[in-house]
Amino acid sequence: MKQTRVGPWRSASACLACACAAVLLGALVTAGAGCGGSESASRVVRVGFLRNDLHQLAFYVAREKGFFKEQGLDIREGGAFNAGPEEMSSFSAGDLDIGYVGTAPCLTFAGQRMADVKIVAQANTGGTSLIVRPGLDVKEITDLEGRTIAVPGLSTVQDFLLHRALEKAGMEPSQVRKTVLKPPEMLPALAGAQVDAALAWEPYPSMARAQGAGRTLLSSREIWPDHPCCMVVADSAFIEKNPDAVRRFVAAHVKATRYIRDNRLEAADMAHLFTGQPTDVVRAAMKNIGFSFRPDIRKIGEYAVFMAGQGVIKEKNPAAFARSMVDSSFIPGDGK
Amino acid sequence: MKKWKLASPLAALAVWQALAVTGALGRATPSPWDVLKGLYDLAATGLPRGYHLQGHVAYSLLRVFTGFGIALVIAVPLGILMGWSRWFEAAVDPLVEVVRPVPPLAWLPLALVWFGLGLGSAAFIIALGAFFPIVLNTVLGVKGVDPRLVEAARTLGAREGTILRRVLVPGSTPSIITGVRIGMGIAWMTLVAAELIGVKNGYGLGYMIMTARDLARFDLLVAGILVIGVIGFLADRLIRIVEKRLLRWR
Repeated sequence: MKQTRVGPWRSASACLACACAAVLLGALVTAGAGCGGSESASRVVRVGFLRNDLHQLAFYVAREKGFFKEQGLDIREGGAFNAGPEEMSSFSAGDLDIGYVGTAPCLTFAGQRMADVKIVAQANTGGTSLIVRPGLDVKEITDLEGRTIAVPGLSTVQDFLLHRALEKAGMEPSQVRKTVLKPPEMLPALAGAQVDAALAWEPYPSMARAQGAGRTLLSSREIWPDHPCCMVVADSAFIEKNPDAVRRFVAAHVKATRYIRDNRLEAADMAHLFTGQPTDVVRAAMKNIGFSFRPDIRKIGEYAVFMAGQGVIKEKNPAAFARSMVDSSFIPGDGK
Repeated sequence: MKKWKLASPLAALAVWQALAVTGALGRATPSPWDVLKGLYDLAATGLPRGYHLQGHVAYSLLRVFTGFGIALVIAVPLGILMGWSRWFEAAVDPLVEVVRPVPPLAWLPLALVWFGLGLGSAAFIIALGAFFPIVLNTVLGVKGVDPRLVEAARTLGAREGTILRRVLVPGSTPSIITGVRIGMGIAWMTLVAAELIGVKNGYGLGYMIMTARDLARFDLLVAGILVIGVIGFLADRLIRIVEKRLLRWR
């Protein structure tokens, strides 16, 4: 009886010892590779991106189509994040080399000196819509006076779009009631008439239409054509240490972005796999997104001026700050 | 003894300030001094601008006490019944045990649809969080009452209702209060999370913390954490004072 009890215990502890040894050995081997074979280690890139974000489709396409592999890059998933601020916190922690992230969290964290990053390419333009709840009789934005409008965060690109849209219509921001809701919660809030309108990025506007939770009043291209949205950002220390890997990464990103533009239908099927959204929703959503890789410094500057006006970044010259944040030299053809 | 009460918070503060000054915590972690300035900013300027700390505290208190009150009013009678009647406990317990392990936050999307954005859904989520520790501790308390006391009352001719009121409820009060204290703690935890998805009127401590995180203002974020900690502490003290009053007979 005693023997049989001891038996499994022994083997269990033996297993544990083996496992420990294996882990140690593995650590030693990797450490050795890190010291000796700097050539192979320098191609490792830790990438962060937002979960199910259609704007960042180029990352998925480049990975699935092997564009990163063509460049000899070893892409490690640094994290699939729910929101940009967490991704930027990961940059501050030194856990990411390159990330796909919104312009807002990128400029906010850089402006607060919480993360040292540069925008090395653009992921997309546009891709936001102002949606209104079903049954609400509005024809233009001026009809929303006194109504509650949800934005995904204060001083986000969507917040700026709301400001611009109101301004264009000759309205003051105080003429609507602004509230903050995360996009997944916007749809039930619209359907339940908790809010009257919302500004959300794709695929949420297309999902709202498909689910009968709302209809589009304005697309962001009518408010601010080709406005910057998601960016490809790189850690400044990583750029300095490993410019070649950044150049290769951007090359793969550019190729993937072109691929999406040239193969809309196939890209939509891939987007369906990436986001888990039905194909018809994804196709409708992609019509609102501009896939272009060259960051527009002037427009990013306009947005930075807005952020500074809101007190979110403390820069005396926000346009110059935006210029200092962008490094387009890794985009093929520009050369350094 | 009393002077030792401040020892652990003060030591934590000193270590924190020292680590922050040496830069060991990285640039994202504010020092106690930054947080103090942050507290002032929250009260004077507000976050978002114009939405002051006082308003955030007031709305969060309203949400917590509404949700907690609902939980208390349902959980204590239910717990007493469950502790008192075997068949009732047998009938209700499986349901309680199935719902209990579900994190209150998992209900959020449904709460939003049922009660809308605002006090209703927040109170629902908070009530769910506070409910179970109160129920379980009440059952435990009623069952823990010395059966000889019940027997003695019965032999003296007390009716069931009188036994319940004069023997079981007072006897189980210490345990109920333990449940209330745990429930209050969980109420605050769920409040912050419930406000994270958004609020309608722009007020709430959880919402304030989320805004600080979006704007990369970690000094304000930690100040918010501190405020919640202090309020939680005060709430617990309040319950202890009530406990002393209620249990004066002991």
